[in-house]
Amino acid sequence: MTRRPEPDIPCHFGPHGGLFGLYHPGAFGAKTAVLLCPPLGQDLIRCHRLYRQLAHVLAGQGTAALRFDYYGTGDSAGGSEEVEWLRCLEDVATAAEELRLRSGCERIVGFGARLGASLALAAADNARLDELILWDPVLDGAAHVAALDALQAALRFDADRFVAPRPVKALADQWQGFAVGICLRQQLAELCLDPLHRRTLLLQSVVAGAAADRHRFAAAGAEVASLSQHTPWNELARLETAIQSHELIEIVSRRVQEVIHA
Amino acid sequence: MHEQAARFGRANHLTGITGLPSADARSTGVIVLNAGLVHRIGPFRLHVELSRQLNARGFPTLRFDLSTLGDSGASGESLAREQQVRSDVADAMALLRKQAGCSRFVLIGLCSGAQNAHLVAHSSEAVAGAVFLDGYAYRSTGFKLRHYLPRLLNPARVARHLARHVGRRLRAAPAAGPGFQVEFPPQARVRDELTIMLERGLKLYFIYSGGSSWYFNHRRQFGECYGRALADHPGVTVSFRREVDHTYILVGDRRRLLDDIESWLCTHFPQLAPAREARQAAAAT
Repeated sequence: MTRRPEPDIPCHFGPHGGLFGLYHPGAFGAKTAVLLCPPLGQDLIRCHRLYRQLAHVLAGQGTAALRFDYYGTGDSAGGSEEVEWLRCLEDVATAAEELRLRSGCERIVGFGARLGASLALAAADNARLDELILWDPVLDGAAHVAALDALQAALRFDADRFVAPRPVKALADQWQGFAVGICLRQQLAELCLDPLHRRTLLLQSVVAGAAADRHRFAAAGAEVASLSQHTPWNELARLETAIQSHELIEIVSRRVQEVIHA
Repeated sequence: MHEQAARFGRANHLTGITGLPSADARSTGVIVLNAGLVHRIGPFRLHVELSRQLNARGFPTLRFDLSTLGDSGASGESLAREQQVRSDVADAMALLRKQAGCSRFVLIGLCSGAQNAHLVAHSSEAVAGAVFLDGYAYRSTGFKLRHYLPRLLNPARVARHLARHVGRRLRAAPAAGPGFQVEFPPQARVRDELTIMLERGLKLYFIYSGGSSWYFNHRRQFGECYGRALADHPGVTVSFRREVDHTYILVGDRRRLLDDIESWLCTHFPQLAPAREARQAAAAT
């Protein structure tokens, strides 16, 4: 059953009010809420519309949701070069507490796409996330760093973007539009995540490494589903194209309903 | 610098972030408009960096989402798009006037944001200036000579051009890249509207990137489009950054852009907010 959701509430929260969020109120008395962990970098911008649509659908079903930006991303305080993995993990926990406080719900489902899924997975214990819905999580950080470096190298010669190739130094210490600190690069390069033994839904829409990840998650008791359409995460030609998937919104909102009624 | 999230507007449907200088504020507020469909943070967070840099120089700012873009909803009114934009920006100016005491405003927009800035700057008395990033311009004879002549005189470039276009046609589906296509109003109308803005005393900064090279390829093209009187007007500043892309994906390019906008604003809008002016006058006596 859907209802007309109350308007979302923009807010600042966390240490010194440095985190920006949009709280989507749910129905009074609901026990479960959803924390929407955004990806990092350009994926955050590309997924913005989808996250908003998902939050609206969830709120329409009576489930409160919180969207937020990590320190150094989106509308939160801090510069892009200050984004740091451990701080992002703290921010997930801070946002989960904010969601508990605002919604009155103790049970929190964590959702994330790409590095947002990785952060939800890595922060699940500290943030006390009861359930996880992970969309194409980055599990092998070294491979991800290599992919982003390759994209950045290709960007230099992108004739659809630049009139002429740019000097190497003009692209240094950045990934697709965002300054990257040494710390984050190192942390991501060392990132290696394993599935947790808690109720998890893994959603896959990429081909590379999908089979191996599927088996690992299935072995840990997770449910795995594949989206019918490939998602163009690391494609230079679509770097500024929004990620859209009505199928994903439908699957996630259905899953949350199942969690609530389990 | 202090930022505040706001839900505002005539239907309480708009979402934005005001940035207020921590020290003395200037009387001119800066409003940053959406670039295409990107939400208010801007491409690669350009609008966040811009707002915070300007806050540090004393300019109150507001970056916000127009109706139905980003995190803003629909107003529920039945308005033409142009009227919707005018009303949204009027709401934004009212918020910044209330929160920071601004008496006049500068609009900054990239691509469709530049078009919206032009639309509002032309019609609103409260607007004192505008920064147009890849805004209107028209292909002139000079543009065509600069564009085609080097290609025709260089067989290798002709071959590369043909190969690229044939390659694109052979692809199964066209890639949705960062390229942009926008519909421009008639040149004479834009020239007349810019003339009216300048007669009203507005200061206008036109910044074109290499991403606009399909319709703008040299600084002097501004005069070729709109005439020398406009191009040489003291209220007009024009720059062309051939090497830079449309959305400023490189950090260094963004930094130079922000420094130039900051410098232009400080030059043309040095006035302090009344409270600060009063304090300074009192200290001087």
